[in-house]
Amino acid sequence: MRRFRITPGRIALALAATLAGSIGIGYATTLPVSSSSLGTASQSLTKSSCTVSGTSSTTDTYIDQNSPNSSFGSNTTMLVQPDTNKIQASLIMFSLSGCSIPTTGGADTATLTLFITNAPSSSRTLTLYPVLQTWSGSSTWNTAHSLQVGSATTSFATGTTNNVSKALTVTIDVDALIKNPNANFGWEILDGGTPAGGDRTTIATSNNGTAARRPTLTINYEK
Amino acid sequence: MKYVPKIFGTTLALWAILATVAAATSLAVTSTVLSAGNAAVPVCGVLAASATRTVDNASTVTGVTVSGIPSACRGKTLLVTLTGQTGASLGTSSGTISSCGTTCTVSLTGSSFGSVSATSLYGYAFAVTG
Repeated sequence: MRRFRITPGRIALALAATLAGSIGIGYATTLPVSSSSLGTASQSLTKSSCTVSGTSSTTDTYIDQNSPNSSFGSNTTMLVQPDTNKIQASLIMFSLSGCSIPTTGGADTATLTLFITNAPSSSRTLTLYPVLQTWSGSSTWNTAHSLQVGSATTSFATGTTNNVSKALTVTIDVDALIKNPNANFGWEILDGGTPAGGDRTTIATSNNGTAARRPTLTINYEK
Repeated sequence: MKYVPKIFGTTLALWAILATVAAATSLAVTSTVLSAGNAAVPVCGVLAASATRTVDNASTVTGVTVSGIPSACRGKTLLVTLTGQTGASLGTSSGTISSCGTTCTVSLTGSSFGSVSATSLYGYAFAVTG
């Protein structure tokens, strides 16, 4: 029996035959997977951020049960305390119009930063509730104490140290108001704990003379 | 002429190798979109879908709503993949296209994708399957 020798001619012949066959296989394989026939699509998201602060984009005030007809919308601080018949609750709202986030976008993260100028003598737990009804900087206890609010967004401990910032996560609420800007009524800050001596918390407002102390809303968003 | 059987044998072996490669390629593509290489392919118009998502306060995706699906796709299945910055899949879910007007909408729960952070989400991929 003679040995089969591999020569350049035989290699060329084998490759030519293989190529012809593989083209057929490849064509048959790619036919069913064209993008138009599968009904496929994709969507890319762009990430960006926006920071909102200052009187032009912030409305903040507090309401005082002990001064039911007074409004405090131009004060440099707002108050929170749970005292019987002397309840004080703060209200804060930001306009996001300057951020130009489309309603198809959404918040990846959103952080509300508050600056406590005067802490209570023992740490209090304050709770942030999304407000579901209209109010303004001229609201009073009598006009706003029964505002409808949603489920608590977050709570935080005030601590007992003056002049400290508190960063509060409010992503779920900001995401919702991006999608529905007409439902932007901000938050109410309440102390639902048991009253005690020296339990008042004082928070800087957008009117505060020190810009770094004013409430700030930082949003990282997609669109 | 006596070498023809050997050449034929060599060629057949090479064909077998290429066919294996081709079959593997077909599987990779079809497993993403269709159940088999020669299964019925849905044709229901150009898919100009777009999605929005909701999050909880920890930035975890809680829901995805896809709109702009042609009404001719009603009854078929929409496969949605959440993609990261590099295009890698973060999670996949699917739903039947049943809520239709001029176009159709499909809503999926966030948990059906696993636990996906909105901060990692950079895009969506959609596919209609039969």
